[in-house]
Order: sequence, then structure tokens, then C-alpha cells
Amino acid sequence: MGRQTIREARPAPARAVGADDQVAADDAGHAVPAGSVRTGRLRPTRRTGRTGRTGGKGRGRQWPGAVFIAPHMVVLALFMVVPTIYAIYTSLYTSRLIGGTRYSGLANYRTVLSSPEFWDGVRRVLVFAAVQVPLTIAVAFFFAAIFEAGVVRFSRFFRTVFFVPFAVPGVVAAVMWSFLLLPVFGPYSKAMSWLGFGHVDFFSSGMILPTIVLIVLWEWTGYNMTILYTSLKAVPREITEAAVVGGASLTTIILRIKLPMVRPTIVMLLFLNMVGALQLFTEPSILAAFQPQAISYGFTPSLYVYNTAVGSGEYNLGAAAAVLLAMIIGAISLGAFAVRRRNGEFR
Amino acid sequence: MSTDTAARAVSSGSASSPDASRAARKAARRAAAARESVPVRLYGLRRGTTTLLTLVCAGFAVFILAPLVWLLINSTKTQANVYQSSGFWFARPFRLFQNLAGLGKNISGAGVYLRWLENTLLYAVVGAVGATVLSALAGYGFSRFRFRGGNALFYLVMSTLLVPITSIALPLFLVYAKVGLVNSVWGMILPSMVSPVGIYLMRTFIDATVPQDLLDAARIDGAGEVRVFCRVALPLMVPGLLTVLLLTVVAVWNNYFLPLMLFSRSDLYPLTVGLSSLSQAAETGTKAELVPVLITGGLVTVLPLIALFLILEKYFRGGALQGSVTG
Repeated sequence: MGRQTIREARPAPARAVGADDQVAADDAGHAVPAGSVRTGRLRPTRRTGRTGRTGGKGRGRQWPGAVFIAPHMVVLALFMVVPTIYAIYTSLYTSRLIGGTRYSGLANYRTVLSSPEFWDGVRRVLVFAAVQVPLTIAVAFFFAAIFEAGVVRFSRFFRTVFFVPFAVPGVVAAVMWSFLLLPVFGPYSKAMSWLGFGHVDFFSSGMILPTIVLIVLWEWTGYNMTILYTSLKAVPREITEAAVVGGASLTTIILRIKLPMVRPTIVMLLFLNMVGALQLFTEPSILAAFQPQAISYGFTPSLYVYNTAVGSGEYNLGAAAAVLLAMIIGAISLGAFAVRRRNGEFR
Repeated sequence: MSTDTAARAVSSGSASSPDASRAARKAARRAAAARESVPVRLYGLRRGTTTLLTLVCAGFAVFILAPLVWLLINSTKTQANVYQSSGFWFARPFRLFQNLAGLGKNISGAGVYLRWLENTLLYAVVGAVGATVLSALAGYGFSRFRFRGGNALFYLVMSTLLVPITSIALPLFLVYAKVGLVNSVWGMILPSMVSPVGIYLMRTFIDATVPQDLLDAARIDGAGEVRVFCRVALPLMVPGLLTVLLLTVVAVWNNYFLPLMLFSRSDLYPLTVGLSSLSQAAETGTKAELVPVLITGGLVTVLPLIALFLILEKYFRGGALQGSVTG
């Protein structure tokens, strides 16, 4: 690693992220008394700090940490922070064929917020998340718990099989399922009418959301199960043993003892699955090719953003919708975070 | 060099007798697993419960495997037979090899599958290796050093977990349009190197498995920071690195929205975007046999990742459980 790399890379995050300085002050205010030895020591190393030779004791203890995180922070700044700021900037302008680009304040936001298509999409992903996320995690927890308790034969095989869809791209999953669920010709439709359910159209406007729930359940149950399984493994054996000796049944042990102990993991998974569900894009966009009338251009907020920006070329409007989507997800995340913190589950 | 000795001492623990002790190690692992879990008979289950639960699992396994079996079977069919014959059984003529050959052709101008496969390999390998390296460096930095603003920066990194991909892909596209990075390979690869999950995993992993004393000992012996990282810490991080590598390869391989935004030229598409363009062409056009190519292409997209997962899964699961290098 050359000296130039380190010299150039090091100060970059501070400037590009634009948060380091205030944050550092904040952090110092909280954790380290102002003007302490630690704070004082960092400055000189900024000037001299270079190779690892200085190592050892005292000076040079803090800068290596910053150098190690610098490459990631540079990429993060250039490819996430800068674009986000630029998107907010763009969303405040309006481009017209005649007259060029003009500052238009919050007009784009007003347009998006008054569009029924956008709100339909928001409502739809909220309903979708409310059904899909708890369902996926409940099924995942059921399997993780019975595998961990060791009451299933061939559990190693099943664990591997259930995890496999994680390796299948959402696009391929959606393509496979759209053939499997084809009305009339698809094997699942045939099976449904053979079982006496009559003609089921999985792509009709009433069924399209349950169909997507099915596909997403297929994709993500195994992943959630694997994480829950690892987390259940960490529950100390003595606790289970004590419960067994006390005469608790397996169901009681799983629901009353193990479930509360892995609650932080479940909360985290609820959270991550929800953020994923609110961004729903791949599955409906692939299904739209098969059944365009069931999936409108604003079926989900992500589709709205894509179709507005790329489909219609209204980049400013698309940017405003993207910022709004991020704000909605951010608000829900913060809400969940607050609840979690109140329950004392914040780590 | 004492740093080398230290590193070697740690890694030689399990690497000393490679083949002879494999069975013994397996037995020890099984014994450890038995020690960890409560014997089933103590639960006092009703007879048949185990069988019933196993059947439930088998049912779910059928649900999971059915689409993949369908994919395998239908990659051997003609377009007409995909629709007309039974979805879960073979039909004549057997067209697997013709369908595979179709992956090398440009049918109806939708693009060439093999080119997309090449692109995906490039994006996944460079992007995931980059993400793993950056995660390892950053995870080590966050785990083993305290510096001003360190915690705040860590929270900043973690908060990027919550930024919707949709909300970052469009802004990226807009910025790229300004600086001329649209339809650029680097425009796809560099953002893929940001992996908050990778950093979180590496930090947790290093916290748990890299002893600070070992690093301090190496420093006292005069090793520089770069040397301490490469020779002492890195060998201990291998299982964690593999986990992050696996996760990031999957993430880049399966990424759809970002490349969909960035690339307007079909010769730059990765498999996901290529297949979706094929699927659109197959649904709207009736020209050539696009459906078999789509299905066979899906199969070929899925197989390498499943293979990689099956190979690495054993490795990282064992490694993560042992928390040390397995040679």
C-alpha cells in the first residue's frame, strides 16, 4: 500500500461524508471530555501519520482505525451519500422541453403526493408487508424451532433444501412461478381445478397480491429460518434442561422459553423483511409482462419511481417519489426503532 | 519473526494433521453438538410426533423444490410442449442440448445469454471480492480501534441498511448521467462494494475471534499495522471472510434494480436484466422459440449459485461454529 493511497484516502471521508466533523465533535462531547489527552493526540498524527512503522505504544493508536475504514467510507460517500444529496437537489427542479430546467420548490412533491397511483401503491405494499412479513417469520420460526429441538428426521437435509431459494435470483423465481401459476395451462391451476376449486386465476387483480405473497414466502422463508436457527442454537442448554425436568412440554419450551430469548433476532428480522417488502419491485415487474392489466405502473412505490423516471422520462418527479419512498421507509424504521428501544431491546 | 510464529501457532491448531484426524474431528463435532442440545427422548413426545413433523417438513420441501424441478424438466422441452405437456414430466422431443445451444444465439434481437453470463461473472467476482475486502478492512477498523467519530460512523454505515435500493439506484443513475458513467461497468461494480451487512458481520466476527492480546504482542515485537492486519488478523478472519464473500456474491448475482437502471445496452446486462428482457420479449412477441431459452437460461443462472452455496455452506458453517481457522 503506497503512501499516496493512504494520504489521499484518509481525509476523504471526513470531507465527502460531511458528517465526520460534527459527529466527531458530538462524539467527543459525549464520550471523551473536551481537550482530553485522547482528543489532543489525534491532531498531530493527522500530519505525521503514514505507515505502520510508528505502531507500538501511544501515538498512532487512533489513526489506523480511520485508515482501515477509509476505503469503504470513500465508496459509501461517492456512491450513496452524494447521489442521495443530488436526488434531493434534482427533486426540487422541473425540466421542460421549452425553457430548460427551473427551480420549482416542492411542486414535484405536491404532484407525487396528490397522485392516487402513488398512494394506491403505498397502501398496497403496506397491506402486503402486514401479511407477508409475519407469515414468513412465523413459518421460519416454526421450522427453526423443530429443527433445533432435534425432533425431525433428516433435519440437516431439510435445512439445506429450505435455504436453496436464497441462491435463486428474484427474477428467475418470478419467471418460474409465473409459468407454474399460468391460468388454464399452469400445473397449479390444473391441480386447483382437479381438487374442485374451480378455475383459479392467480393473476387476476384480486389474486395477484396473494400470489406475490406466495412467491416471496418461497424466496425468503429459508433465509429467515437459517438466522433463527443459529440464534436458537445460542440458547443455553441448561435452561431447556431445567424446563424439561420441570415437566414442560416441547410446545411450552419453544413458545414460552426459547421464543422470548430470540426475540431480539425476531425483531431485527421483522424490521429487515419489512424494509424489503416496502420496496417490492422485482416480482411484480416480472409478473407485469405476463399479466399487464393486473399490475399498473404504480402497483408498488418502487414501480412508480421506475416507471415515472425511466418509462416516462420525468426524472425530477421520479427523484421526488424516490425521496418520499425513502422518507416513508425511514419513518417506519424509526418508529420500529423507538418501540424496540422502549422495550429495552436496543443494543 | 514472532508475528509469523504467532499466526502460525494459531492456525496450526487444526491444520497439523490434515487427513488422519478428519474422522476424529467429525466425531468430536458430533459429540459437541450432542452436548449442546437436549436429548429428544426427554421431551416425552407422543409417538408419531417426530414422523408427523418430518412429513410436514417433507411437504414444505416439495413446495420449495417443485419450481426448481419444473425448471429442470422444462429446459428439455420445445416451446409448444412447455404449455401443452404436463409441467412435471418430460415430453418428446428432448431438446435440452438445442436449448443450451440457443443460449449462445441472439434470438429476436433480445440479446445473447452467454454475454450476460460473462458480465454477471465479472460484476459478481469483482464486486463481491471488493465488498469483502472493504468489509474486512472496515470491520477490523471498527472492531479493533477506537477513534473520534468511530461510533457515529458505524451507525452511519448501519443506517445505509435501511436506504431503499430504489431510492439509491435512481439517484445513482442521475449522477452517472451527469458524469458520464451510464453504461459503464464501474458504475455497476463500485456501488456493489458497499456492504453494510458485510461490515456488521466482520465486526462481530473479529470481536469474537481475533484476540487483542495477539495483535498487541505482534506490535510489541515491532510489526507495523499493515503487517499485523495481514499476517496476524487476516488468517483468523477466513471463515468470516468466506461468509461475507458468499453473501455478497449472491447479492450482486441477484441484483436487478441497479443494473436495470444503469444499462441501456443489452451487451452490458447481467443475467437478471437479460432474462427479464427475454421474458418480456417472450410474452409480447411470438417470433421464435424464446420460452425454452428463457427457461434454460434460468436454470443455468441458478445452478452456479446453488453449487457455490453447497460448497461454501459446509465450510462457513463449520468455520463459524468453531470460530477458528480450519486450515
